[in-house]
Amino acid sequence: MNTEALKELLYKMADDQLILGHRNSEWTGIGPLLEEDIAFSSMAQDKLGHSQAIYQLLNQLGEAEPDMIAFHRKASSFKNCHLVELPIGEYDFSLMRHFLYDLAEKIRFEMLTESGYEPLAQVARKFLGELRYHELHAITWVKQLGTATEESISRLQASLEFALPYALGLFEPSPYESEIISSGIFEGEEALKARWHQKVKEVLAQTNLRLADITLVTPVYGGRTGIHTDYLQPLLNEMTEVVLLDPTAEW
Amino acid sequence: MNSPLVSLDPRITRLGVYEVVPETLIPKSPMDQFETYEAFFQKKENAAYEHTGPVHAPHPELAYLFAKEQYSRRGNTCTGICVIRTIDIQTSATGDNDKNIYDQVIPRGEIDLSGPVRSFDIFHMKKRGGHHQHVGRVEARSHEEALYKAKQAFSDLSPVVNVWVAASEDIRFSTPEEKSFWDTLPLKKYRDAIVYKVQDRIERFKQEKASH
Repeated sequence: MNTEALKELLYKMADDQLILGHRNSEWTGIGPLLEEDIAFSSMAQDKLGHSQAIYQLLNQLGEAEPDMIAFHRKASSFKNCHLVELPIGEYDFSLMRHFLYDLAEKIRFEMLTESGYEPLAQVARKFLGELRYHELHAITWVKQLGTATEESISRLQASLEFALPYALGLFEPSPYESEIISSGIFEGEEALKARWHQKVKEVLAQTNLRLADITLVTPVYGGRTGIHTDYLQPLLNEMTEVVLLDPTAEW
Repeated sequence: MNSPLVSLDPRITRLGVYEVVPETLIPKSPMDQFETYEAFFQKKENAAYEHTGPVHAPHPELAYLFAKEQYSRRGNTCTGICVIRTIDIQTSATGDNDKNIYDQVIPRGEIDLSGPVRSFDIFHMKKRGGHHQHVGRVEARSHEEALYKAKQAFSDLSPVVNVWVAASEDIRFSTPEEKSFWDTLPLKKYRDAIVYKVQDRIERFKQEKASH
C-alpha cells in the first residue's frame, strides 16, 4: 500500500469536511427558519465528526493528533477544495454548495465502503447513514426551491452557475491517482465525478434549473495542493481564535 | 441610512444588515410561519411510533427533514420517524383518565361510506397530557368509519382518553434504507449538556478566586 497516496486522499476528504462544517456552522442562529437552522447546524456538526474520524485514521498512520491537525496548521497545509472555503453568501448559495458537495460526498463514502483499506471502509460504513440524510436534505430543498417561484428558481440558477466551476474542483486529480486506484483504496476522482454528474443531472431534471455542459466548464483547481483563495485564512483565524488563547487547555 | 450593524459576533457584522428604527408606530407584521405537521418517532425496532411535537414546514418532505433533526438529534436510539400534516389528523373527543373514550363514540347520524376503501393509521393517548402512540391500521371509507373500526379492533386495550385518525397516504414514514440515518445517534452524546462534567472545575475555580 502506498501510504503517501492514502494520506493525500484522507487529508483532502477530512479538510473538506472540517472547512465546510465550520462554514455551515456560521448559519447557526441566523438560519431562514428555526427548524432549518437546527437541521443545517446539526449537519455542520456531523461534518466535523466526519473530519475527526478521518484525522484519527491519519493519526494512526503517523500524523499528528486530530486537534493538532485541525487547529494548528497554516492555510497552505490544508488540502480542501475552494468550493468549501467560499463565504456562506446568501442562503441560496449555501444550499447549492451543500447540494453539489454532499451528493459527491455521499457517493464517495458509498464507494469507500468497498475500500481495500479496511479502516477507511469502516469509517465510510459508519457514516453512510448520516450522509444519506445530508443528501436527502439537499435534494429536497433543491427540488422545492428549484420549482417554486421565479425568484427562488433564478436565485438557485445563479448560485448553480457560480458554484459549478468550484464544484468540479472537488475532483482535482491527485498525483497518486493511479496508485490509489490500482491498490484498491478508491476507484478515483474521475469515477466519482462521473457518478456525481449522473446524480446531479437526475435531480436537476426534476426542477426548472439548467445544468451547463460540464465539459465546457473550467474547474477551479489548486485546493488539493494547498493553494487557496483569500477566504481560507480569515476562516482559520476565526476557527482557532479560542483554542489559541490557551493551546494546552483541556476541554 | 446609517452604517451596517456591527456586532461582537463577526457573523452578524458580515451579514451587512441595517438597523431599522421606525420614527412612528408601524403595523405589526402578520405571523409568517408555515403550517404545522405532527412528528412521531420510533425509539426501537417494532416499538410504537410516539408523538413528539410539531414542526413548521411548507411541504411534507421538508417537514420530515425538519422533524428528524428537531426531535431525534439527541437520545440513545431512534429507528424511524413519521410526519402528518396537523390538519390531516382527525381527533376524537378527549375523555377523563378513568374512562375509555371509545365508550362515548356514538355515531353522529350516518357515517360517510361514499369513498373508496383506504388504509388509516390509529393513534391512542392513554392518559391526559400523555403522548399519542401508534396502535395499528384499519381499512375504512372515511376517518369516521376508521374510528369505528378502531373501536372494534383496539378498544379492548387499556383505556384511551383520545384517538387520532389519519389516512395512511397522508403520512410520511421513514423508509427501510432511512433507518441508517440514526446509526451514529448513540455517539452524539456531546449534544446533551449532561455529559459535560464541569462541576468540580467550577468549584475549583471558585476556591481559587476566593483565596485571592
